[in-house]
Amino acid sequence: MSLWVIDKQAMAPFVAKLMDDYRVVGPLAKGSQFAFDEVEDPADLRLDYNTSILPPKKYFQPPEERLMTFRRNGGTTVQPIVEAEPTVILGIHTCDLHAMRVLDEAFTQGYPDAHYTRRRRQAMVVSVECLEPCMEHSFCKSMGTLTADDGYDLHLTDLGAAYAVDVGSDEGKALLERFAEARPAAEADMQQLNKVLGAKWPRFPYKLETEVDELPALMSQSYESPVWEELAEICLACGQCTIVCPTCFCFDVYDEVDLSLQDGERRRRWDSCQLDLFATVAGGENFRESQAARLRHRFMRKGRYLRKKYDALGCVGCGRCARSCPVDISPVNVFNELHQVRA
Amino acid sequence: MAENGRPKVAFFDFACCEGCQLTVVDSLQTHLELVEAVEIVQFREAMTEKGEDYQIAFIEGSCTREQDEARLREIREQADIVVALGACAHIAGVNAIKNVQPSLQDVREYVYGDKWEQYDSYAARPISAVIEVDAVIPGCPIDRFEFLDVVKKLLLGKKPSVPDYPVCVECKLKENVCILETGGTCLGPITRAGCDAIYPTYGVGCLGCRGLISNPNENAMMDVLEEAGLTVEQLMSKMTMFNAYEPAHIGEAVASPAEE
Amino acid sequence: MIESVVDVAQEESVYLPQMAQLLKIEQMTELEKVFTLQLPGGRSLGNDPGQFVEVSLFGIGEAPISVSSSPSRSNGTFELCVRRVGDLTNALHGLEPGDVVGVRGPFGHGFPIEKMRGRDMLFAAGGLGLAPLRSLINQVVDERGAFGRVIVLYGTKHPSEILFKEDLKAWEERDDVEFHMTVDRGDEDWTGNVGVITTLFPEIAINPRNTIAATCGPPIMYRFVLMEMQSKGIPETQIYLSLERRMKCGVGKCGHCQIDQFYCCQDGPVFTYAQIKGLEEAL
Ligand SMILES: Cc1cc2nc3c(=O)[nH]c(=O)nc-3n(C[C@H](O)[C@H](O)[C@H](O)COP(=O)(O)OP(=O)(O)OC[C@H]3O[C@@H](n4cnc5c(N)ncnc54)[C@H](O)[C@@H]3O)c2cc1C
Ligand code: SF4
Ligand code: SF4
Ligand code: SF4
Ligand code: SF4
Ligand code: SF4
Ligand code: FES
Repeated sequence: MSLWVIDKQAMAPFVAKLMDDYRVVGPLAKGSQFAFDEVEDPADLRLDYNTSILPPKKYFQPPEERLMTFRRNGGTTVQPIVEAEPTVILGIHTCDLHAMRVLDEAFTQGYPDAHYTRRRRQAMVVSVECLEPCMEHSFCKSMGTLTADDGYDLHLTDLGAAYAVDVGSDEGKALLERFAEARPAAEADMQQLNKVLGAKWPRFPYKLETEVDELPALMSQSYESPVWEELAEICLACGQCTIVCPTCFCFDVYDEVDLSLQDGERRRRWDSCQLDLFATVAGGENFRESQAARLRHRFMRKGRYLRKKYDALGCVGCGRCARSCPVDISPVNVFNELHQVRA
Repeated sequence: MAENGRPKVAFFDFACCEGCQLTVVDSLQTHLELVEAVEIVQFREAMTEKGEDYQIAFIEGSCTREQDEARLREIREQADIVVALGACAHIAGVNAIKNVQPSLQDVREYVYGDKWEQYDSYAARPISAVIEVDAVIPGCPIDRFEFLDVVKKLLLGKKPSVPDYPVCVECKLKENVCILETGGTCLGPITRAGCDAIYPTYGVGCLGCRGLISNPNENAMMDVLEEAGLTVEQLMSKMTMFNAYEPAHIGEAVASPAEE
Repeated sequence: MIESVVDVAQEESVYLPQMAQLLKIEQMTELEKVFTLQLPGGRSLGNDPGQFVEVSLFGIGEAPISVSSSPSRSNGTFELCVRRVGDLTNALHGLEPGDVVGVRGPFGHGFPIEKMRGRDMLFAAGGLGLAPLRSLINQVVDERGAFGRVIVLYGTKHPSEILFKEDLKAWEERDDVEFHMTVDRGDEDWTGNVGVITTLFPEIAINPRNTIAATCGPPIMYRFVLMEMQSKGIPETQIYLSLERRMKCGVGKCGHCQIDQFYCCQDGPVFTYAQIKGLEEAL
């Protein structure tokens, strides 16, 4: 849409003003890493962060949430609930923007999930362009997610003393006009933007040894690959890789009651296909009994299944799973290994 | 169950520190509804009466001598449901560290001094080694909310199951910085969740007090810990702190790096 | 974090069950009961044969259960045949007429009856697999004129596990339904066939090109029944089967029921053999 500029000194007042009207969340330091959390002081905001521990999807699909409350005595009564509130999410990286498309598809196809869509609608997305590789594990350039041309309300690029702000929606425009001291980009700003963006690409390595569009075919051919058994030897089945993944959305549903056994709530919580019991049914049959089958399922989902269903790859190259994995299983290495075995 | 709809419940202790019963006493104070939901007929830690008519028996502590076996069988005979309360009853816990010492006799003399002969004691065992157990509440000590959760499941007639996935799941859901990533050691990837990853949340590696998940990849865990710089002795003491009762795989896994 | 709770009644959460009343409960075997349910105001469930509902008991949870009554016989009620195997199913077995349970659905792709009209029908049900197939069989029987031959094969482990005896009797008594059944193991009163369901296949001869086959049973049965069906020359696109998977949401979100790129709850539970053949995880 249109291009604007906010001076860096104007960022803190912008965020502070947003805080008057919205819940404002963004990347904050957490120990040696970063996590999205509610901003209490604009000075804490770390737009220079490297990838957060959990992806910002947690604001659309929280790790745990209530779906409804119920009362069992005196005729069952049920009250559906959505925990949602107007939120501005600051600092989403472009890999995570791409991942949000997968979730948007998954939660709106067929039967729309009101719990997700309500939160999604109430969120304003302010993303930020990465100019340096965030960490050793990421491979966004290979996956085509190192930049994005939509999916945000506002998109920031660091120009040094100021941010270039690309307006991606009418809501974004309104947000900018109402809360920020911004000026339309001048010729010199655009020149600076071109320089910054032109300089960024060579800094990122291309890690995938095949073309990203080749992945679904590669995965099809790799169903029987010995690689799955090899990986299963070292995999701990700890589930971290799926929990930190921005495109994973599987969940479990369960009821909780108070001690009177009368009042309770139905809740859901992120689940992981890497865990033993994920596909087990009553009677004990487990449709993916071996860890090799579970690992294969995960990678098939990333590289092929979700593309078939949602027309978007299930891996955006953020590297979170590789960073969390205690035994360093990284999708790009797995894809490359499959490619080499096939070749 | 009982006439008034409240099941009769009894608590028993064997070799342990009674810390788990203290957690129960605590829950009785924080959750007064518990007293209305069940009728406690025997609980040495909290009352003097000793009712022998009960449906649910919570058993704390390990079996460490022959007399324990007879008493356990008696309880099993009376109770409809037997619940192992805490790591000592569930997996023999810290009591089993003595099992992996070179000589049990040395342990006895070390602990009881020259009076060792008066104290009958054999290798510590979880109660499931002696009687059938219907449910477990893992942990050292137990988690109050998990205790309440198991009680509720029993009252609702559900399987009183506890999680069978690793601590890492809960740890990541809480978005903790991983201890393995910052150079520490942690048994979270093979330890049964349910404690809400309390140790890692406070920056301390998990020691496995809740026992292992059903299908732990112990060899991979050993490799991870080794890479983090643990020596064989450190590995052994870490892996057996709470999980010495069934050290078979652990023993093998430890043996191999030692041979190199 | 600030929390605000929003009422979504107007937005219809797909996870919110309707309250259905239990009108009748019939003990069918030691482990199975048939429940007759009614939605508020006698509203029709609107199911296709082969679809399922998610049954909820608050405080216990939810479970997917096939609708075993036919749309053609609905009269404002529907039937579920439930085996007692775990938390939800145990609790359900403890209920009485008049009690209320939550119901979501019907969900999934059932049997495409419009593609079946005019054809010969071959049904093969194993054990509890009769529950979803009964819904289709009775529909076919009720529209008998619209179909060619109707052959029903049914196998159970033991005479004590035979389900829906009244329906079986009705099918057996009709001249226009060829009904065969067998038990793996008989007892002193059993005079019928003994042997697994595949032993019934040699007794029948069919025109494969004009036959549509529908089968449901335990995973192990499929392999053998499918072999029999194929060896009779029925094309893979004309063999329908209903698969069971762990399910949580029933609406293609939770990921539990996934078989390769399919969600069993949405793309299935009824698939053609052609769709899932070659998918290692399917059978
Ligand atoms: C499409 C479909 C149709 C079915 N139709 C019938 C039927 O007509 N009659 C019948 O008796 N049973 C049927 N089942 C199986 C039935 O769903 C399970 O027996 C039931 O979920 C067990 O739940 P539980 O709470 O009693 O057992 P638990 O073992 O306590 O299960 C706990 C939870 O695990 C999940 N789960 C466990 N087993 C299964 C399973 N087999 N399938 C799916 N989810 C499972 C459920 O979410 C369940 O709530 C069907 C399953 C599917 C997928
Ligand atoms: S994080 Fe690594 S070890 Fe854990 S389940 Fe995933 S791949 Fe396996
Ligand atoms: S699979 Fe790994 S690298 Fe790919 S999107 Fe998920 S967490 Fe990121
Ligand atoms: S993976 Fe790429 S796009 Fe994502 S945060 Fe890292 S550098 Fe940015
Ligand atoms: S700190 Fe321990 S429990 Fe937490 S994720 Fe890391 S290994 Fe797992
Ligand atoms: S973190 Fe580990 S040692 Fe600590 S309570 Fe949990 S299971 Fe026990
Ligand atoms: S049951 Fe949830 S996706 Fe099928």
